[in-house]
Amino acid sequence: METAKIKLNTEWLSDCGGCHVAVVDLHEKILDVLGAVEIQHCPVLTDIKEYPKADLGLISGAIRSEHDRECAEKMRSSCTHVVAFGTCAVYGGIPGAGIVHTREEIFDTVYVNNRTTRTHKPPLRSVTKLEKLVTPIDEVIDVDLYLPGCPPHPAFILDALLALIEGRPARAKKESICARCKRRMTKSEVAHIKANHDGVPETDTCFLSQGYICLGSVTLDRCTAPCPNNGVMCTGCAGPTMRVLTEPNRDIRTEIADRMSNLTAIPRPDIIASMERSSKTHYSYAMASKMIGAKPTFLIKKWIAEVEEQQ
Amino acid sequence: MNRTITIDPVTRIEGHARVFLNLAEDGSLESAGLIVNELRGFERILVGMEADRMPLITARICGVCPSAHHLAACKALDAAAGVEPPPAAKLLRELLYMGHFIHSHALSLFVLQGPDLVLGLDADPAVRNIVGLVAANPEVAKKALRLRSVGQKINELVGGRGIHPVTGVAGGIAFQLDTEKRGMLTAWADEALVLVQELAPVAKSLLMKQLETHQSLLTDWSHPSHYMGTMQNGRPNFYDGLLRVLDPAGKTVREFPTADYDTILTESVVDYSYMKQVMLRADGQEHAYRVGTLARINCADAMATPLADGELTAFRAAFGHPCHATVMHIYARLIELIYACERAREIMNSPDLGGETRVPVKFTAGRGVGHVEAPRGTLIHDYEIDDQGIVRAANLIVATQHNYLSINRSIMQAAQSHVVGKDDDGLLNAVEFAIRCYDPCLSCATHALGRMPLDVEVRQGGLLIRRVRR
Repeated sequence: METAKIKLNTEWLSDCGGCHVAVVDLHEKILDVLGAVEIQHCPVLTDIKEYPKADLGLISGAIRSEHDRECAEKMRSSCTHVVAFGTCAVYGGIPGAGIVHTREEIFDTVYVNNRTTRTHKPPLRSVTKLEKLVTPIDEVIDVDLYLPGCPPHPAFILDALLALIEGRPARAKKESICARCKRRMTKSEVAHIKANHDGVPETDTCFLSQGYICLGSVTLDRCTAPCPNNGVMCTGCAGPTMRVLTEPNRDIRTEIADRMSNLTAIPRPDIIASMERSSKTHYSYAMASKMIGAKPTFLIKKWIAEVEEQQ
Repeated sequence: MNRTITIDPVTRIEGHARVFLNLAEDGSLESAGLIVNELRGFERILVGMEADRMPLITARICGVCPSAHHLAACKALDAAAGVEPPPAAKLLRELLYMGHFIHSHALSLFVLQGPDLVLGLDADPAVRNIVGLVAANPEVAKKALRLRSVGQKINELVGGRGIHPVTGVAGGIAFQLDTEKRGMLTAWADEALVLVQELAPVAKSLLMKQLETHQSLLTDWSHPSHYMGTMQNGRPNFYDGLLRVLDPAGKTVREFPTADYDTILTESVVDYSYMKQVMLRADGQEHAYRVGTLARINCADAMATPLADGELTAFRAAFGHPCHATVMHIYARLIELIYACERAREIMNSPDLGGETRVPVKFTAGRGVGHVEAPRGTLIHDYEIDDQGIVRAANLIVATQHNYLSINRSIMQAAQSHVVGKDDDGLLNAVEFAIRCYDPCLSCATHALGRMPLDVEVRQGGLLIRRVRR
């Protein structure tokens, strides 16, 4: 008899499917994983509808509907270890940015007052009701391992899976994007914040030094930094660093403001004000998480309302 | 009393989806449809965000075709700012996209539909999957998987990452190609072109064999409709061009720029589904229509590259024009896969590839509409942007929506020819196959190792009288 394989269940909730596709992008390495696990419940790979007992469970996506909640609970009760797989499961991700709107507002935009839609009422039959909020899975079930990333780079997926299979801690470091970014921080005389589209950024210098808001220094590296190394500011898709998450008085905007005001001639309050004005942009991936949402100074609904009122 | 058969879940289209079949007392089919059971509300979520983040944020609509959303967003921003990206940027965007098409079409053809073709629609479900495919023909399977990988590598190198690419920006592309990357891309493009020429004859002969065995695929599943696809000089172009509309007789009835889409396409709510359906206005009437591989091939005067054009000629000679057989989405996908490989190679030879890749942009209050042909059909992004560069309204029409009316009609046809009066296994296969022909977003990459899970409930007067699962 061969050695018993690790039994694996996976499930996806409210997300784009990209985390599951990322597993396919292990390319030839996927065979190492497939050799070590027995895939059971996995809506993309198998036709097992029940949730058999499993050693390991991967859940991607946030909880948006009652159906999502039920699936998460079934995964928890069937799996010994549960991994929150990807930013949506860990922090809510982009679907989580739906929390600042009521269901009625969403229905109104999509179905009632929409440029090309001529009917004026939302669907009523057969569809599962949306919940009031969007919820990261650890507010509903216990989670044993967090693997954020949008999606996590396949190298981190392999590390996490092998760690759980081999019963060892994951090797992934808890560094920020800056650790892998090739740009250099320099002191500059830049006096105003630039929008992303102001001019064309210089290729070797830190975006913050140039006056562009980049979230690399407050974002956990689960991607190997493709954005700043290809000329694009980090938008925080893997979620915040431990420092931001764990300290109540530290936040994405205060951390960036401290760093950027040291690197440039831009006053700290200007940076804070700018980031609050664009809070829906800067907090888009993590706003649904209580680790960000419950901070005493985090007033995203107020900030967004102020911007919308200007309209 | 009526019976209802529910197939749940069929596949994922932005979430869980299921099929219902309503049978009348005499067992005849009354109605059938696909229920899409998830809504995230992107059109609301995007409002209030910085416009230049749209290529990154909207990629998250779909992990299967993120490159399509990424580029549609870039083009909508270009239009809103009134800029024209430099030639090198357009080429790089298109190259990124050819990589995505190679990955997506190879996966769909060889991994999703491959098992149907190699092992046959009647094969034992336990082996009718990619594992069974590898066992039956390991050399073909290996080459097919390699072709998918090479496509994704091209997508990743140009896009910065494969899933949720990052390099497309308003006004161009955020990096310039160096010699090292150019060398890698050229090698991959060469490899893809060799692989596709080895795989194409195999795929074709397998498809022909299934058509001989199941002749109803061509007869009963013919579905005359309007078609829409993007053309440049009458040749399909995935990245840019005019939208052409063909009537069921094969006559071009409209050709319009994307910016006019809202005067031609009309969405409406389907009472039982979170996904809206779309109709098209032409000749003073509204029509259901199809987009995607077969639609583009039907709209084409010719293909822009030689091998693909030869294949189109052979296809037309065998199956006529326009071809209404839903199963021919597969053949059309093969023609497009050949085109994508040839086009990628062609781009690598272009002298313009090394130049400037970005022009500065400035948003003045206004609106921008952009579109691309996603692997599964036309994808439209429309943003209203204020003078601060903030999105004030967003409207999106995705590929599967255009096809929604037709998918429901194909489910009806599949049920009628293969279901009514036949055993439940035939029903499952036929409905599943009909849906897969459209490759609806997420009958996708991620079904890579198997078949769609199906659960059929037969109800009479609300009571469960029979249940089939696999």
